[in-house]
Amino acid sequence: MVVTNQTSSEAQAAPAPPAARAVDLVKTYGMGDAVVHALDGINVEFERGRFTAVMGPSGSGKSTLMHCMAGLDTPTSGHTFIGDEEIGLLDDAGLTQMRRDRIGFVFQSFNLVPTLTAGENITLPADLAGAKIDREWFEFLVGQLAIGDRLSHRPSEMSGGQQQRVACARALIRRPDLIFADEPTGNLDSNSSTEMLTFLRRSVTEFGQSIVMVTHDARGAAFADRVVFLADGQVVGEVYSPSAETVLDQMKRLSG
Amino acid sequence: MWKVTVKGLLAHKLRLVLTALAIVLGVTFVSGTLVLTDTLHNTFTTLFGHIYQNIDFEIRGKAAFADNGTGGAVRKPIPQSILANVRAVPGVAYAEGTAGGYAQFVSSTSKAISTGGAPTIGLSFDPNPQLSALQLAAGTAPKTPNQVVMDEGTARKYHFEVGQHVRILLAGPPQTFTIVGIVRFGTADNLAGATLAAFDLPTAQHLFGLTGRYNAIDVLARPGTAKAGLEHAIAKILPPGVEVVTGQTVANEQSSAINQALSFFSTALLVFAFISLFVGGFTIFNTFSIIVGQRTRELALLRVVGASRRQVFRSVLVEASIVGLVASLVGLGLGVLAAMGLEALLKGFGITLPSGPLVFETRTVVAAIAVGVGVTVVSAISPARRAVQIPPVAALGDHRGDQRESMRRRIYAGSIVALLGIAVLALGLTKPAIQLVGLGAVAVFIGAGMLAPVVARPMASVLGRPLAGILGISGKLGRENSMRSPRRTAQTSSALMVGLALVSTIAVFGASVSKSATSSVDNAVNADYIITNSGAGAAGFSGSVAAAAAHVPGVTAVSTVYNGTFEFRHSLKALTAVSPDHLSETVILRMDSGSGAPALAAGELLVDTTTANTDHLSVGSVVPVKFAETGSSTMRIGGIFKANALRGSFVAGDSFFLSNFNNPLPVAVLLRTDSGASKAGTAAVGGRLSAYANLKIQTRAEFENTQQMQVNQLLGLIYALLALAILIALIGIVNTLMLSVFERTHEIGLLRAIGMRRRQVRAMIRSEAVILSLFGAIVGVLIGTALGVAFASSLKQQGITDLVVPFASLVTFLAIAALLGLGAASWPARRAAKLDVLAAIAAE
Repeated sequence: MVVTNQTSSEAQAAPAPPAARAVDLVKTYGMGDAVVHALDGINVEFERGRFTAVMGPSGSGKSTLMHCMAGLDTPTSGHTFIGDEEIGLLDDAGLTQMRRDRIGFVFQSFNLVPTLTAGENITLPADLAGAKIDREWFEFLVGQLAIGDRLSHRPSEMSGGQQQRVACARALIRRPDLIFADEPTGNLDSNSSTEMLTFLRRSVTEFGQSIVMVTHDARGAAFADRVVFLADGQVVGEVYSPSAETVLDQMKRLSG
Repeated sequence: MWKVTVKGLLAHKLRLVLTALAIVLGVTFVSGTLVLTDTLHNTFTTLFGHIYQNIDFEIRGKAAFADNGTGGAVRKPIPQSILANVRAVPGVAYAEGTAGGYAQFVSSTSKAISTGGAPTIGLSFDPNPQLSALQLAAGTAPKTPNQVVMDEGTARKYHFEVGQHVRILLAGPPQTFTIVGIVRFGTADNLAGATLAAFDLPTAQHLFGLTGRYNAIDVLARPGTAKAGLEHAIAKILPPGVEVVTGQTVANEQSSAINQALSFFSTALLVFAFISLFVGGFTIFNTFSIIVGQRTRELALLRVVGASRRQVFRSVLVEASIVGLVASLVGLGLGVLAAMGLEALLKGFGITLPSGPLVFETRTVVAAIAVGVGVTVVSAISPARRAVQIPPVAALGDHRGDQRESMRRRIYAGSIVALLGIAVLALGLTKPAIQLVGLGAVAVFIGAGMLAPVVARPMASVLGRPLAGILGISGKLGRENSMRSPRRTAQTSSALMVGLALVSTIAVFGASVSKSATSSVDNAVNADYIITNSGAGAAGFSGSVAAAAAHVPGVTAVSTVYNGTFEFRHSLKALTAVSPDHLSETVILRMDSGSGAPALAAGELLVDTTTANTDHLSVGSVVPVKFAETGSSTMRIGGIFKANALRGSFVAGDSFFLSNFNNPLPVAVLLRTDSGASKAGTAAVGGRLSAYANLKIQTRAEFENTQQMQVNQLLGLIYALLALAILIALIGIVNTLMLSVFERTHEIGLLRAIGMRRRQVRAMIRSEAVILSLFGAIVGVLIGTALGVAFASSLKQQGITDLVVPFASLVTFLAIAALLGLGAASWPARRAAKLDVLAAIAAE
């Protein structure tokens, strides 16, 4: 609701572009006989203001898809877009600008800067961009994530769940167009996982955040609006308004 | 970003300390040198200002030569008759002549007193306390021909008191005097170690061959007299060739002469300081490369959350600047302490310096910080550029920074830099221009550093093989570790490479100089005994020695050697003089053309082949010459001899020399005996010359030894100064090993978990250190040997005729390097062995 009104004037005529999309995306590793097609001509769109989960077995290409779409990795061929901006056309400075203003990341291994406190980690993207920190938004996120008493702690002094919540706040601080979450609950116990997923869900529902989450946990995928299934570098199915059961069914079908 | 950098630095204090240490030492050296030389400069300026503050004018001979060389202007003494005329000038309150020359005290144990090459000065004592540089501390002024006053420094050190007798060596025969007073030179005990013997004016004139003449006349103006007018009035009555200058001018000249010597000294020290910093630069470069490698993930993460390349680049450079700044400030503080230490060290070498407050100029602070920060930042540029190349995706996986960069590019770039260096070096050697030589050497080292990774893997493999054989699995793993990252192996050892290259250069150069000194003696001296002054750098000895030596039974030929300066074709040159009688029995001339002894007897000049070639001279050429004493004239070239360092480029006959120089001191007397050189012969000559305490009587072999020893002494000093560079290189190795141990915590834990003993862990780290050190040492010794050979052969014309590569020394260097590497490993090895197995495995 806050984020999606950039193109409101055109909203009547044409629908707003998706938060991100991939067109004929191919990524291969190696050469000759040893060539591996991590992505084999993928076409996919991630809607704005929605929570999309990407699932698939190991080696299905889900992480590669995310890296290419986020501009962290370069595809062998095809195009990726954030909004209507083509990633492949951006130089390093453009990509940096893109990461600063429009993309947030949450990683499986938290990836906080070990020498900075929680508070400093959260404001790091804003500091790097030289932007003023929205104090109100900062307090709000900290309150929502219940990390107010941890702000002066170093990552090594916090539990995994706390670290991931700090990472979450860091991803949201700049109100990016899109957050990429790479197995955000992979290193968390089940209580922390539920808290984390509930928060991601709420950030979509309540502040209109767009999120793409790679996971192989069916229960986690059930928090999303839509689940996209990958196998062997191709999209092989999708489920809207998933529940843990429908996701598991689909997975069984795919592997069976 | 600033916050990330600073916090990162504070979180790794140990890393900071070890990295900074290399810079701290270099900056200490730089600031210590500057503080010391500024202090000395200030002390001498104050001293001379004080001495001359009361003298209004000095009347003296004009500088004899246009080119004053390094020893200060040569001036002809002035006639005594001027004094009466000066006293008659209205406005002159007081005027007195001065006379000075060679006078050396003999201690109560019959040793000639001289301190570390400082001059032994004899002078006239002016009883007017306002005018005299000498201030009586005890006793009275000398009034009769057998009275002397002595400087307080010498009196204290050699326990002389007023009333005692002292023997003094002079240009003529030695004489005994009564000490009637003890003096200070201005406010100092003596003048930078020089001994002072002061006589009343007529005695001084007589002793120093100045009867009827003065070196100068000091003048006091009547109070209230206009100085400029008086100077003009005095100048009007002076004969041609004599000038009047203010006391201030003389003070300035004296202190600037000292400062010239000081600046040579400070330049020499600064060269070594910069060598240390250069080696430190290699260490910094290596450390930052490793740090960037280890922080790959963190830097990539910063890129993911929006850091631009420029921000990453800047963060590494800011880290470098902070390290550099902290190190420079610490180095600056230590430099002040070092200045005091150096002063003490110089005292240890026997160079007593007047005391004064420590001078701490703003320039010292600026230079120390600029140099420290500059070297650190410049060394960090390449690692910072590598940090910028880290892709953001490296934050996600275990993407290990790009280890396999193109070797081909490295070979091209390294070869170009090295070849450019060699070209500049060659140009510098032929010109000769010392700056170009230095620049070329720097480029050669950087080029070698760039090329070293190419050979690091095969060499580490070869060097590690015996270790693997002796130590088994530990040695094998150590060898593998050193081969794992050739670039790091090469970078770590490159600092040691530079250090050892310099040491080897000096070793080769020194051995060649030493051998050349011996052969130049063989090619120039035919005598059985060589008599010289025993003090280092002393002026000479009494002219009556030769006559006394001629009376020793068995002596068949005696030749006196003099040295002096003269103007040859309008530029200042050194002239050697020998007596033509029995010339061939004592001196070898190796004539190329013309005649030797007959030409010398005829008052003709002999020149060496080098001079003959460059000046296009042949036998019979007539050249313009000028002597301080006798003025301009011409000389005929009577012969041309083969160039030899000991003979010098110009040789004249002794009688010619004596008639053109005032009261010169012989620098050597050569003896030929009918029985050859022997111990008994030395004793016989020594017995006959026992009155002359300052003599050293040596056989030709002993003389050659002395020459070699002087070279070796200098080499020892240079090695000591280079030791700092080696120390910095070793700190680099310690630092790298520490970082490696830290980096391999997990791996070491694993090895321990599957049964490796602590002892074996230590052996593993030590093997790696030995391989690293030997690699650097071998490359360094090879480069150094090549440089040494190049230097030595380029100076063939300057008298380095023999080229010697001291293999034994070079092999010793390698052994020492390996041992030092072993020592450098002890701390990291202990740390690795102490790792807690469980925690190490848990470490990511």
